Amino acid sequence: MIEVSDACFSYGEGDVLDHVSLSVGAGERVVLLGANGSGKSTLSRLLNGSLEPTSGNVLVDGRTDGLARLVGYVRQDPRNQIVSSVVLDEVAFGPRNLGLSREEVLRRVDEALDACGIGELRNRATSELSGGQQQLVAIAGVLAMRPRYLVLDEVGAHLDVAARGRVNEVVERLVGSGVGVLEIAHDPLALFGAARAVVMEGGRVAWQGTPRELLKSDDARARAGFGEDSVARALSIAARRGLSLDLRPEPHAVARYLVREDACAFGQSHTKALFRPFLASKMAFARGSHFSLRDVSLDLRGLTLVLGPSGSGKTTLARLLAGVMSPDAGDVLLDGRPVRAGRVGLAFQRPGDQLFCETVYDDIAYGPRARGASERDVDAAVRAAAARLGVGEELFDRSPFDLSGGQMRRVALAGVVACESGAYVFDEPTAGLDGPSRAELRRLVHGLVEGGDPVVLVTHDAGEWLEEATSVAFLRDGAVVQQVEAHVAASSPELFVAVGLEAPFMVELRAELEGGAEHA
Amino acid sequence: MLRPRVPGAYAPGSTPLHRLDPRVKLMMLLVATVATFAAPAPLGLLMMTVGLAAALVASRTSPATVLMGLRPAAVVLALSVASNALVLVGQPGFSPDGLVRGALVVCRIALVVGFALSFSSTTPPPAIADGLAALMAPLRRVGVPVGAIAMSASVALRFIPLTVEEVDRIRCAQRARGALLDEGGPLRRLRGWGQVLVPLVVGLFRRADELASAMTDRCYTGEQTALLGPLARRELVVLIGAVAWAVAAALL
Repeated sequence: MIEVSDACFSYGEGDVLDHVSLSVGAGERVVLLGANGSGKSTLSRLLNGSLEPTSGNVLVDGRTDGLARLVGYVRQDPRNQIVSSVVLDEVAFGPRNLGLSREEVLRRVDEALDACGIGELRNRATSELSGGQQQLVAIAGVLAMRPRYLVLDEVGAHLDVAARGRVNEVVERLVGSGVGVLEIAHDPLALFGAARAVVMEGGRVAWQGTPRELLKSDDARARAGFGEDSVARALSIAARRGLSLDLRPEPHAVARYLVREDACAFGQSHTKALFRPFLASKMAFARGSHFSLRDVSLDLRGLTLVLGPSGSGKTTLARLLAGVMSPDAGDVLLDGRPVRAGRVGLAFQRPGDQLFCETVYDDIAYGPRARGASERDVDAAVRAAAARLGVGEELFDRSPFDLSGGQMRRVALAGVVACESGAYVFDEPTAGLDGPSRAELRRLVHGLVEGGDPVVLVTHDAGEWLEEATSVAFLRDGAVVQQVEAHVAASSPELFVAVGLEAPFMVELRAELEGGAEHA
Repeated sequence: MLRPRVPGAYAPGSTPLHRLDPRVKLMMLLVATVATFAAPAPLGLLMMTVGLAAALVASRTSPATVLMGLRPAAVVLALSVASNALVLVGQPGFSPDGLVRGALVVCRIALVVGFALSFSSTTPPPAIADGLAALMAPLRRVGVPVGAIAMSASVALRFIPLTVEEVDRIRCAQRARGALLDEGGPLRRLRGWGQVLVPLVVGLFRRADELASAMTDRCYTGEQTALLGPLARRELVVLIGAVAWAVAAALL
């Protein structure tokens, strides 16, 4: 049993944790929810002893020291956890630190690889694996130390639906074998199979109860950051009508508690605006076997989602559309003219990747200045972009690297918008964001599209964007398999399966509801 | 995002050299390097060349890869041959002796590069680190943190692909904002790299912090169980053979 009683913690000024108490039993799965900055990660760092509470205490099976051996910790981004360049060596890292014999280390490596179902990856290079495989390797590396408890810090954030499912199966088996699991999550589907849900807010435990109670309570759902989440809304309707959350999240089981009319309540908005023409025609690109696209033609007006498994050419496509790479054949035309670098805005998930000036003002001004605009025009462009993205002018003299994650993202986007690009490409913009931040980004994108600018979004989190999107392009092996209208994709799981993806939960649920109505 | 094959980068495979214990390979590389510089021309060098041919065959490395590996140093090597062959001081002219001397040095360097490439392309980075740790083990007695050194080497090698990826992403984002990174004179290009470096370094420090705490989470203290077992007899035989051949070449 992990017992946190009355723990406080502070990094210097102000309490990050304010008299928090929490327990996780053996074989129990507890979900920890709350906004970014609510103290979830700090609390989880107390559990394995990497942080010590300033007051109160943390007991793991009655002990207060050597907690790292008892509590394994898996991070959000496996690339920040993997130490070695070979899988075998990576999984052996933990047991080798425990002073075990060579034979015992190797035995544990095999055992952990088997438990995660990745025995065949034993001798592969870690950098060549997909994100999902890397996360399984990271988990195996922790399991090889035979922890009694596991802390999972948003382990699904960077994974697609199928990989998330595989990780979830492994965790389920572990819980079944008696390992206690504390899972930090931003995904309402994490509630399935959990014994308890704990919601943090401002360093305190704001709410605690069973997942079903959470879904039934509007207040608890909002505190957990699920206020604008359509999956949570659907689950909450089903939970009120008696849905049990003990098992896996199966769309058909949830659909049994819903009727077709409920689908309207999940939300399906449509943007109506004059779209600027943004077209890719017969585009081809080849660099070795990994980075090739062939005969790609797309109509990118409005908000286009680009979906496909890893290695399908999504990132290459994003760069070609943004004009930072040139296709070998074919064209990308915006307003009838070929795109070139600087005419199409490009933004990545981590805002830090695109900030490089000393002050916020200079950073936003970089694009207009590079274009050779006069200082007066630059100033006007900076202020307009800052206002559009809600960057306060009081931040102009700060260094962009001193800002909080949310502020940094606004500044980075303001820098892109200030270029007056006219079209935007986002590459995996929401990975690792909490519910409110994702909703905010959706609003930003919505604003751009409403303004008439085409936006292309490459993502593995299709579910939440389908309601906003105009069309969806499915990619596989460097070719566009299909481009369909978003409302069609929103209830057609088979389109996802056809390119080797698993459909988002919401898509499956809509299909169940619509299919059910036809049978009736 | 485009990763050209770097000569000498580890290439997975199962050649005889891939299967050989990293400690044996490391020792052989060390011995071969010393012998290459000690061996007299032409017979000793010929013996070393035969040795390199054997290593290339045993690792299925093509001689072209060795030439690729020499390319970055080509200018310096050409200059050194030229400066040996041309006499500028006193009586200016051409010196055949100098030419031979210069050519021999280049030969030796090419041989060593060849040995190093056949080692590095058949040994994964963690095995290199393990091999280093094993060979440096005696230094532990005089207080050298052998485990930590080997671990740093291994982590550094692991970070190379991540860094390449990161640089590429940052450059793309900056070019999309109108930064002209590949145009203008050398000074402008240098400035362009400067603005890539800021976010890169910030990003790498954040990553390093995160990795360090991930290592602490997994109980890393500096000392680890050695993963390499005792050497097999076959491997000892290979090692002794290689040492004998190198000594013979050096003493010819």
